[in-house]
Amino acid sequence: MSIAILNEISENLQKGKAKIVVELVQKALDEGVSANDILNEGLLAGMSIIGEKFKNDEVYVPEVLVAARAMNKGAILLKPHLAAAGVEATGKVVIGTVQGDLHDIGKNLVKMMLEGKGLEVIDLGADVAPETFIQTAIDQNCKVICLSALLTTTMGVMEDVVKKAEEMGVRDQLKIMIGGAPVSAEFCAKIGADIYTPDAASAADVAVEFCK
Amino acid sequence: MEDMKKTAIVTLNGTSHTCPIGTSLGTLLSHHGQGTMPCGGHGKCGKCLVTVKGEVSAPSNDERRILSDDELERGIRLACRTTVLGDCTVTTTEQGKGQIVTDGRFPASMKAQSLSPAFSTYGVAIDIGTTTLAARLFDSAGRLLSEVSRMNPQSVWGADVISRMEAALAGDAPKIAKVIRRALNAMVVDLATAAHLQATDVQALVITGNTVMLYLLTETDVEPLTHAPFAAQRLFGETLTADELSFTSLQPETPVYLPPCIAAFVGADTTTATLASDLREIPETSLLCDIGTNGEMVLWHEGSLYACSTAAGPAFEGAGISMGMGGKTGAIDRVWVEDGEIQAHVIGEASPIGLCGSGLVDAVAALLDTEILDETGYLEDDPAVIMAPVEITQEDIRAVQLAKSAIHGGMRTMIKTAGLSCDGVKTLYIAGGFGSYLDVKNAGKIGLLPAELVERVTVLGNAALTGAAMLLLCTNLRASCEKLARETRIVELASNPVFVNEYVERMMF
Repeated sequence: MSIAILNEISENLQKGKAKIVVELVQKALDEGVSANDILNEGLLAGMSIIGEKFKNDEVYVPEVLVAARAMNKGAILLKPHLAAAGVEATGKVVIGTVQGDLHDIGKNLVKMMLEGKGLEVIDLGADVAPETFIQTAIDQNCKVICLSALLTTTMGVMEDVVKKAEEMGVRDQLKIMIGGAPVSAEFCAKIGADIYTPDAASAADVAVEFCK
Repeated sequence: MEDMKKTAIVTLNGTSHTCPIGTSLGTLLSHHGQGTMPCGGHGKCGKCLVTVKGEVSAPSNDERRILSDDELERGIRLACRTTVLGDCTVTTTEQGKGQIVTDGRFPASMKAQSLSPAFSTYGVAIDIGTTTLAARLFDSAGRLLSEVSRMNPQSVWGADVISRMEAALAGDAPKIAKVIRRALNAMVVDLATAAHLQATDVQALVITGNTVMLYLLTETDVEPLTHAPFAAQRLFGETLTADELSFTSLQPETPVYLPPCIAAFVGADTTTATLASDLREIPETSLLCDIGTNGEMVLWHEGSLYACSTAAGPAFEGAGISMGMGGKTGAIDRVWVEDGEIQAHVIGEASPIGLCGSGLVDAVAALLDTEILDETGYLEDDPAVIMAPVEITQEDIRAVQLAKSAIHGGMRTMIKTAGLSCDGVKTLYIAGGFGSYLDVKNAGKIGLLPAELVERVTVLGNAALTGAAMLLLCTNLRASCEKLARETRIVELASNPVFVNEYVERMMF
């Protein structure tokens, strides 16, 4: 019974049917399915299928975006129930788009995937100064910083973040991950960041490893 | 009793043709290869103007909307909306007195203005598009004497403004300026030659373009335009000389007016297009959109102007699409469904080699109609053949989805920001080259435009250039134009939650 509704949530999420997902999540809660199960076996199961398909080029950005939106809407409904159940985060990550860049759709996707893996995410939004990233990581005790940039003219700021971490003497305590359309593994090596991931699903997998 | 006449004699530009009563003048014109119908004969764009004397149908609602009473009185009609009822004489306006600009006619407000040209002999208006350069030569009576266009030679530094700014920052700024200046100088020479004049007869220039294009032309440092907060120090609305811009074929002191930009990513081309749209002349709310690699939009609402820019990417210009191409011979420019089968028209009646922007929009609409494509963008047959060997792949569809939702999402964000729904928008003006050839109904079907607004579209053609010509011919408009640019409020999209939501929402079909 509950399996069927969780599958239904997963399938509708994959199709990006946010409205139906919300209805189904509410229905599952009403039927007494645990918030944790709805999250893991409904929403996240669907999202991870989309994430895998995206990695394998079977689906493209639009599907991921609509699925992520459905996931987000469903998760909002679950949040109070999850908190009440005392579900613990498996790690803490700070994320943001670098200074000079206002694009945050890709960053939000990664954020959602990270949350999907049970990580606590501190989202600094877009146009974030290098120092803010580092200071937040120190203050909030985060092990991982995720940097996003969409413009070739702003990706250089990622290097400033790495340098700032060195300057503030915390480089060895932090993992700096980078992503975004113009960024590459070569660029990552050049600026001395820790890792480049090509898509949101891989980013989440790597972040989980770093938090262990 | 006399037999009912079944045929009529139509004298088209001086040559007589026999045709059946009931024939549309649009059909007759295209049959004889005369005139153009950018909107595909839907009575939308007002480009197929003809002067008619004789027995034809009464003016349609579309014509009453587009043409003034005075024009209708003088026998000016839209060919696509006029039916032959008996013998008549038809003159296409290109062969007329040159009063009507072939693309982008002057708006009513300009007709009401008395001319105050920036010159006494001849003047030139230029639009520096990221992809295409277009220019027109006028005499002091405001008559269009010649018109030229060519590709922007800066494309060797990349197709988009970001790559060109990077190149400029990397040290190529002087070279980029030199190349564009040389091209514009050559275009003025071409214009003069076509009008049997000397380039030195040209006494004034107005050059519009997006902010980056004007920065590169004037060799202004583009660094502030490359990142937030996009603090453009120089917004133009200033007059230089031909000498300062190295237009060597002109008299050195010839004034060159650069119209004001609104912001780093909403340029002088948007300012001049706004001017040409006459947006501010009517009390009702309306929206202007120039669809290109970037979609610039201006909303006029309760006495205020709001502007934004959205990154659509080059899909509708044929780039980033597997078989995409410009609107040249061999490009499929029209696609429709007939008895369940996909049909296509090829420019120049040649063998098809690719799809141009208008063909791409039509093709996606046809794939939706035939249910080969579903509402999520999944392509049942991948690749889907449009007209062998031209086909559309799943990736092409995804690129279209990203592009169309950027435009459509931008429009809805503007409308919502003003606290309105689409019902509150009286007219949607579509400017730009691609917009002129777009089938607006199909654009609504695929969700490039809000479906609610399809019936309220007015196609303007190259409105940026028309606006530049207005500033050339009516110098007294310059002050109000500079005020317009200063007072327009920018709506930021990239980090705007309304836009992000709309962007995702409009990705579906």
